[in-house]
Amino acid sequence: MTIKATLGLALSLIALSIAAPASAADLVLYDALDFAAPVAKAFQAKTGLTVDVVEPGSTGETLGKIAAEGGNPRFDIVWLDGSAVMERMAADHVLQPVPADAFDKVAFTDLGKSLIPQSHAFLPTGTSTTAIEVNTKKVEAGKTPKSWADLQGFAGSVAAKDPNLSGPAYQWLAGIFQTNGVDAGKALLTKTLTNKSLSGLSSGGKVNKAVLTGDAAVGINQDSAIFSKIAAGEPVVAVYPSEGSVSLPQGLGISAKTQHMDAARKFIEFVTSAEGQAAMQNGDDTDFFFIPIIKGVNAKPGRETNITYTHLDDQLASAHETEWKQWYKDNFVQ
Amino acid sequence: MVLNNRNAAAGGVGFGRLPRLTALFRYGGPAAVYAVFGLLIGLPLALVLLQAVMPGLFAVGRGDWFLSLAPLARVFASPAMAGSVLHSLVLGLLAAFTTTALGGAFAVLVQRCDIPLRRTVSLLPWLVFLTPSYLKALAWVLLMSSGGYLAQLGILPPSLGASFFGLAGLVFVHTLSLFPLAVFIIGSALAGLGSELEDAARLSGAGPLRIWLRVNGPLLAPAIVLSFIATFAEVLSDFGLASTIARMSNFGVLTYGIYAAASDYPVDFPAAGAQALVLLALVLLVVVADRLLRRRADPHLISGRAKPARLYDLGAWRWPALTVALIVALLALILPLGAIAARALTSTLGNGLVFSNFTLSNIGAALSPDTPANDGLLRSLFYAALTAVIASVMALLLSAQLGRSNPVMRTTVLGLSLGAVAIPGIVLGFGYILVWNRLPGFRDWPFPQYGAASLLVMGYVAAALPYCLVVILSAIGQLAPSLTDAARLHGIGALRRLVSVTLPLILLSVVTAFLLTFIRTVFELPISQMLIPQSGPPAPTLILKLFSHDRDGLACAIALAAMAAAGGTAALIWYPLNRALAFGRSRPPTTPARPGEPS
Repeated sequence: MTIKATLGLALSLIALSIAAPASAADLVLYDALDFAAPVAKAFQAKTGLTVDVVEPGSTGETLGKIAAEGGNPRFDIVWLDGSAVMERMAADHVLQPVPADAFDKVAFTDLGKSLIPQSHAFLPTGTSTTAIEVNTKKVEAGKTPKSWADLQGFAGSVAAKDPNLSGPAYQWLAGIFQTNGVDAGKALLTKTLTNKSLSGLSSGGKVNKAVLTGDAAVGINQDSAIFSKIAAGEPVVAVYPSEGSVSLPQGLGISAKTQHMDAARKFIEFVTSAEGQAAMQNGDDTDFFFIPIIKGVNAKPGRETNITYTHLDDQLASAHETEWKQWYKDNFVQ
Repeated sequence: MVLNNRNAAAGGVGFGRLPRLTALFRYGGPAAVYAVFGLLIGLPLALVLLQAVMPGLFAVGRGDWFLSLAPLARVFASPAMAGSVLHSLVLGLLAAFTTTALGGAFAVLVQRCDIPLRRTVSLLPWLVFLTPSYLKALAWVLLMSSGGYLAQLGILPPSLGASFFGLAGLVFVHTLSLFPLAVFIIGSALAGLGSELEDAARLSGAGPLRIWLRVNGPLLAPAIVLSFIATFAEVLSDFGLASTIARMSNFGVLTYGIYAAASDYPVDFPAAGAQALVLLALVLLVVVADRLLRRRADPHLISGRAKPARLYDLGAWRWPALTVALIVALLALILPLGAIAARALTSTLGNGLVFSNFTLSNIGAALSPDTPANDGLLRSLFYAALTAVIASVMALLLSAQLGRSNPVMRTTVLGLSLGAVAIPGIVLGFGYILVWNRLPGFRDWPFPQYGAASLLVMGYVAAALPYCLVVILSAIGQLAPSLTDAARLHGIGALRRLVSVTLPLILLSVVTAFLLTFIRTVFELPISQMLIPQSGPPAPTLILKLFSHDRDGLACAIALAAMAAAGGTAALIWYPLNRALAFGRSRPPTTPARPGEPS
């Protein structure tokens, strides 16, 4: 009877596999961005090419899946926040360089041009930055912090993401060390992040939750997440620190093993077209509030774009990545 | 070995009735069990655990086979990781104790006492079981945080809210969300206990307390210990609370450490493997300790002749007893569900429970056809039903094979199953990707394929099978051997014995296993995440994605709809069946096994 069971199991699984073949689509897209599925739908409607959108969860979870797949990646394109991680995947030959002519076809703004990686590991499609999220019910208007340094006044009530779990959070950390100097930056954070249960959160959503429930008065969060909450009517504001902000590009990468290069090129063309950009803004969640980097495209209403940027020294940031992440973990996580 | 077994299976179907295959049956049983375990759980798990001692196995570029103890040394050298080992152990032991106590008391209350509303109250464990741990954890965060619903309503003193986020709160929420497990395990043993032994003790002049301490207690001991171990394993492998309340309380546990190591590019495989190894070692330790401390064989309780036990008349104490049960219901079900419903029905969290903040748009989005939310929901219900059929049938067949084999084998499988319960879904999911996308041979195998729904269902089955085995094996273990022996002496074949003797006696356990699997699978999170099919996400992935993308209102709405659908389906199966069984039992005493009767 075990024999019959085995056969029964095999038969039912076969039936299931026939019902759902693994990859019949023209493109397989791995992503962790709110607008990716609507954009894929619009792309499908326009070109007739089918896209399987695979979204395992947060950026970290998507990266974990890609890492587990190793040298046998199952996606054709990947679309994520964070430039450093794309560079690492390209260095491991999980990604192949995006063809140079794909960049030439796009009318990037100056900000956009500054985000194009030399390695061509990814093609930037938009950007965002880190800002201070302030709960206006908890913090009086006169006492709103203006800089990272001001956050010391809120010590113990500052929510922050763990850079070990969030690419953007690492870029923020590296940015602080760059603008303040490493030692002064460490001293500043040690005085500010005194509540470990708030300083090692795993996602922007958890920072939002901490600020909205009042567990924290202020949070260090991706600005598009804050604008999305403002649009939803939550009592928060975004403050850009006077020290300057580091840009957090989101990019499209192409799998080193893709068999669908033509479809991938068409997808990139669509995303950077006016139509694709409109689809990227057709929603109310965090990622729809990105900063456009293509000429003639405006941000969603209510989204601040007049931001003073500092340029992050990527090489310095990636050279110290392990060390600085470990320092953060030892001091502010667990 | 796997392939051999498949060949054997293919050959066996054609010649199933040939006598010479009886031998294969006898020895094929244990072999099949090992093969199923090996393929479904052992191999994927081994690939993850091996990395604890072979850190280079799946390294980027070219893997190597060098042995090293460095990853394990790192776990115990790092204060954070060593601390999380201790945290997991303390939390697991405490919660297993409180859960078993609450569940055992609850089982006795609803099965043996004449409390008012007994039938309604006995539904509570099932309803609690419907809510997955990550939702309950989120609900308690919504309730207890300093700006949360209880504080907004002015019910919660701030000091209590603060102390909730720590060991005490974790034990509290674990106990309330896992006590159904203890009720199921201890309750099914209680049902099999019958009243003969108790009646005999009473006739010999023993009082109720003495009967429970000296007769029922020892007879129930295996179930109580099983419940303790199962809860301990559950707590250790839990990720829902680990990633919410524990994280917010700065209470690092092993599962979160594994998750953190596995959520980046590149993945810290050695750290994930080492922590998974420590986690499983802890569960194994408890199982082994149990075997060493309690060497007596488990009693066989179901004789096929047991009379249902009579209810205790509690007198005036009926009402306080009911009140206690209702308080449990309030804390375990009504409050968390209320918080989820409140969040599903409000547009923002910060503005709280004021009228202007209410909306129906989230519920509308979850229920309208052709939305991603609705598609995910239907997909999950289908996968869960398929998984439940496969897992419970497999568990029944494997248990039947094991029921007659030697006790060592049964203990081994029970231990393996409990160990498997403790495998965090994320570890199993990772192992599945490594086996089916990285291992030569499996990678190019046409079926099941990574990225297809088939592998997701296989992963679900692997996660559910240990549970089904524990439930069904413990029911079969209680069957007195005389029943099937009688049938065998009449020359009844193994298959007929299973279908017409064993199955009717344990049908309720099989259905229990089916429904448990169905409900758990609808909400199974980590495996859904790792093995998400390219054809579209199942509901849990969708719910989690919405949470992490900050749309918890819609996530709560989908979760509510999923609970209603899963609960409704379960009720549709359970009630007619329960009624039919009750009807069957109310007939004049018949021996369930009547060999002459056609099956």
